[in-house]
Amino acid sequence: MIRPAALYGGLAALCAALFALSLMIGPAGIGWGEGLVALVVPSDGPATMVMREIRLPRALLGGMLGAALGLSGAALQGYLRNPLAEPGLIGVSASAALGAVLAIQLGLAGAFALGLPLAALAGAGAAVLGILALAGPRGTALTLILAGVALSALAGALTSLVLNLSPSPFAAAEIVFWMMGSLADRSMTHVWLAAPFMVLGAVLLLPTGRALDALTLGEDAAEAMGVRLVRLRLMLVIGVAAAVGAGTAVAGAVGFVGLVVPHLLRPLVGARPSALLIASALGGAAMVLAADVAVRVILPERDLKLGVVTALIGAPFFFHLIWRLRGRL
Amino acid sequence: MTLVLDHIGLTRANGRRVLDGVSARIGAGEFVGLIGPNGAGKTTLLRAALGLLAAEGESSLAVLPPRARAREVAFLPQAREIAWDLNVETLVALGRNPHLAPGQRIGAPDRAAVAQALGEMRLEGFASRRATRLSGGEQARALIARALAQDTPLLLADEPIAGLDPAAQIATMELFDRLAREGRGVVAALHDLSLAARYCTRLIVLHEGRKVADGTPMEVLSPELLAQVFHISGTFTPTESGPIFQPLGLV
Repeated sequence: MIRPAALYGGLAALCAALFALSLMIGPAGIGWGEGLVALVVPSDGPATMVMREIRLPRALLGGMLGAALGLSGAALQGYLRNPLAEPGLIGVSASAALGAVLAIQLGLAGAFALGLPLAALAGAGAAVLGILALAGPRGTALTLILAGVALSALAGALTSLVLNLSPSPFAAAEIVFWMMGSLADRSMTHVWLAAPFMVLGAVLLLPTGRALDALTLGEDAAEAMGVRLVRLRLMLVIGVAAAVGAGTAVAGAVGFVGLVVPHLLRPLVGARPSALLIASALGGAAMVLAADVAVRVILPERDLKLGVVTALIGAPFFFHLIWRLRGRL
Repeated sequence: MTLVLDHIGLTRANGRRVLDGVSARIGAGEFVGLIGPNGAGKTTLLRAALGLLAAEGESSLAVLPPRARAREVAFLPQAREIAWDLNVETLVALGRNPHLAPGQRIGAPDRAAVAQALGEMRLEGFASRRATRLSGGEQARALIARALAQDTPLLLADEPIAGLDPAAQIATMELFDRLAREGRGVVAALHDLSLAARYCTRLIVLHEGRKVADGTPMEVLSPELLAQVFHISGTFTPTESGPIFQPLGLV
C-alpha cells in the first residue's frame, strides 16, 4: 500500500507525460519545441492548426475518456462489491452504441457533424430511463445487474439487426469500424460536447467514496451506518451513464479500461473503494493515452483502432490476474 | 437513548404475517436477548426497528434521519460480509463514518475510538492484517470492533455469536454485558439459551411474529414456554455463579 497522495501524484505525473507524448505524435512531423510554440503562441501557420485542431483534442479526449472509464469502473465495482463489474455492465455503452449505429445507418451522422455523438447520448439517456424503470428506485445490486444485462442484450440485438438489414456494405463497414472505438480525427467540438457530461459524471461519482467504503460490510450494515442506498444508486447510475455515455458518443466502444485499471490499482490503495476512485480515474487516463500513442506508433500507416489495442492490452493483464488468483487458492 | 417499538407489524408480499404488534422499550443499561426459533421474526424485527424495512407501527430509531440514527445505534447484521481486502484498522474505522461530515478526514478522536475498539476486541496486533485473510472468529471480532468504534448508545446485533468458538462466544457475551453495565443498551438475537439466560438482563421471546414473553431469564424460560415455543424441555440449576439454564431434550 502506498500513501494515497503519493500514488495520486505519481499517476498524475504519468498522465502528464503521456499527454505530452500524445501531443508530439502524428504524421505532420512537428518537433518538440516547434509543437510547444505552435500550441501556446497564436498564429495562422499549419503547425498551430495541427497542434490545436488535431492533436490537442485527441490528447484531451484520450485523457477524459480514460478518466471517465476508470472512475466509472471503480465506482461500479465498489457499489456491486464485485471486481468483475465494468462500466458497460449497466447497459449504457451498448445503448449509446445503438444510438450511434442508428445515426450512421439513417444518414444522421453524415448530415451534420454532431449527429452521431448526439444520437449516442440519446441512447445513453434512454438506457438510464430503462434501467431505472426496470430496477426500480429501491432494490438490490442484483436487480441492477440483471436490468443492465437485459438492456445490453436488447441493445446488442438491435445493433445486430441494424447491421443485418443494412442495405449498404459501406454503412455496415462504417458501423463495424466505429464500434471498435477510436480517437482519430476528433475536433474540439467533440471535447466540448463530452466535457459537460463527463464533469457531471465526476461530480456525481466522486462523492460516493465514503458510502462505497461502508458498502464493504454489506447493504444492511452500510444503510445502518447512515448510507442512503436509494440516493447512492441514483447517483451511481446517472453518473456512470453520463461519463460512459459521453465517452462512447465521442470515441465509440473502448473496453477493458474500466475493468482492468481498478483491478491493477486496488492493491496499491489498500483495497479502499474511496481511494480507488481518484486513482482509477488517473490510471484510466494514463492507460487510454498510452494506448492511443501505441495506436499511432505501432501501425502509423493503418488505422489501428483504440478499442482493439485496449482489449489487446487488457486481456493479458486479466490472464495475469487469474494466474495470481490461482496461486493464492 | 431508549429504543421504543410500538406495535411493529409486517406482512410480506405473499400475504404471510411475519411480525404482528410487537411492542417493547429497551433502555440504557439493559442487555436484551431476542430469542425464538428459526423463522420467528428476530431478524425482521431488528431490521424493522432500524428502519431498514418499511413496517407498520413506530420505532424510535426508524423515524430518525439516517446519519443521526447511525450516531444512536450500531448494527451487526447476521451475514459477516467483508467485500474487499481492507486491513483491520481501516475496516474498524468504517464505524467512524457517521461521525464525519462529508469530506472530513479521520481525526484524533476517531483514531482514539478505533484504537479503543481494537483493544476491546483484543485485535491490537491485527491492525495492519488483511481482514479477508483472518479466520472466521477473528473476522467476527473485527466486525464487532467496527460496531464499537461507531460509539453509539445502542447496539443491535443479529446472532453475533453464531459460528464462534466457546471462548469467543463467552468473550462476546461478557463484552455486551459490560457495555450494558457502562450504560449502553444492547439487543442481541440469540439461539444459545444457556448463554442468553446467563448474561442477558432480560429476554424477549418471539414466536411466529408475536412477542410471547418478556422478562428476566428465570421468568421467561418456563417449562410451558419452552415446550410451546421451542419444543424442548430445560431446567435451571443453581450454581455458585448463579442459576445456569440447561436445555434437556425434545418434547
